[in-house]
This record gives sequence, C-alpha cells and structure tokens, in this order.
Amino acid sequence: MDGVGVADRPLVYARTRVAAADWVQAIQAACEPLLRAGCASSHYAQRCVDLVREHGPYIVLAPGVALAHARPEDGARRLALSAVTLRRAVAFGHSTNDPVRVVLAFASPDAQAHLGLLAALARRLADGLIETLRDAPSDAVAAALLQEVVDNVDR
Amino acid sequence: MPGRKGVDDELTVLTVCGVGMGTSLILRMTAEDVFKQLGLRARVQAMDVSSAHGMPADIIIGQEMHTGEFVGRAPIVVTVRNFIDKAELRDKLVAAMEAAGWTASV
Repeated sequence: MDGVGVADRPLVYARTRVAAADWVQAIQAACEPLLRAGCASSHYAQRCVDLVREHGPYIVLAPGVALAHARPEDGARRLALSAVTLRRAVAFGHSTNDPVRVVLAFASPDAQAHLGLLAALARRLADGLIETLRDAPSDAVAAALLQEVVDNVDR
Repeated sequence: MPGRKGVDDELTVLTVCGVGMGTSLILRMTAEDVFKQLGLRARVQAMDVSSAHGMPADIIIGQEMHTGEFVGRAPIVVTVRNFIDKAELRDKLVAAMEAAGWTASV
C-alpha cells in the first residue's frame, strides 16, 4: 500500500438540493462535511464567511458558482473538496455572477497542498462542471463528479 | 529599443483575489491558457491583493472589487467577471495590450 499517496489524496464530499436561506448558510453548508470529517476545525467555516465580509464576494468566480475557503492557519487540517447544490439560489452581492446555485469549499493544510487539486478543478470548471454539478440528481452523482476532478490531479 | 512585451521579454502577470490561494489560482490557470493561445510568453502568479501591491507587474488581472486599487500601479489592469471564461479574458487582454501599444498576438 502506498501510504504517502493515500494520505495525500484529497477527500470529496457532495450534497444536493441543500436548503440555505442566504450566502452565509450556503458557505456553512459547503464547509460542514469538511468540519465533520475533521479536515478543518470548527471555526474554519466562520473564517470562510469572514473573508467574504472582509474582501467582498470575489469568491463568486463565474456565474452561479462560489469557491469558499480560508487559509491553512484558519484550521485547515487535510486536503478536501466539498460541493453543495442549493434548492434555491442565493445572492452573494456579486454585480454579475449572482445568483449562486453551486457552492464549492476546500481546505488545504498548507499553501502548496491544493495546487494540483485546484488546477484539475479549473480544467473541469472550464469544461462544464458547474452545469453538471448543478443538475446532479443525487449526492452520489455529485460526489462522483468531484471524484473525477480528484482522479485527474497530476501527480 | 526596448524588447516587445511577451515576445522578446516575458510578461510578468499577477492574478489577484482576497486570499491568493483559491479564485486567483483558478484565474491563473485560465490566464496561462490564454497567453499560450496568444503565443505570448508570460509568468503568471496568483496572490492576495495586499501582497500584489508590493510586486512589480506588467499586467494585473482580477475582479472589479480588487482591480480598482491597481489602476496606475501597473501598465495594464484587466477586470474580468468570469474567471473560467477564456474568451472574455482573451478579448479584454488583446484590447488592453493594443491600447498600450504592446503586441497582443504573434
């Protein structure tokens, strides 16, 4: 067994048709599996929300999708990627990319661990991942889409 | 005579966001593909806005809530809405580079 490779492999979590009243709840919902799995500490989700309050809704990086995260020192322990699709879209206050239906969240234990994951994510986002995730009929299908991203990380 | 930007001289490009490790990284991937499409040599780095203030750059790319503070601090500042849309970034880059008198494609 390749112990190093297994330890470095990003974990993925996905939930579909989640109820969120606003963007804060949407970020909390996307972070929740990361906290539950111990990939991030309990205040990580709050830091993700704080960063949007401090820097604006820049995490809404394309129409309909937000990428929430905080810094490694904000309690990120293990590399993981999570996604929620929302039952009802929420506004982040972004001038052109609202409303948001898909919220991604990641945790990276250091400034380098996530580089391959984000590169693979960028490739799939450019290739229609937002739409396929948004329309995913079940948690399992959505998780499989994220697993596909992880499987395409260059190593 | 100075070298042509992106042809004789590598362009120094910064993609910026609030933290410098998520959205700006996605934008870096998009930008690298666009510079490749345009046949331009570019070194693209992702970083947070406060670090970017201390960095010399030919081109700074980000969302409108961040790019305003860089106008006048870099020769070209490009504001993009969609960080994964190569066509949007390419069109804006070409227009900005032509306006600056730089070769936008070879």
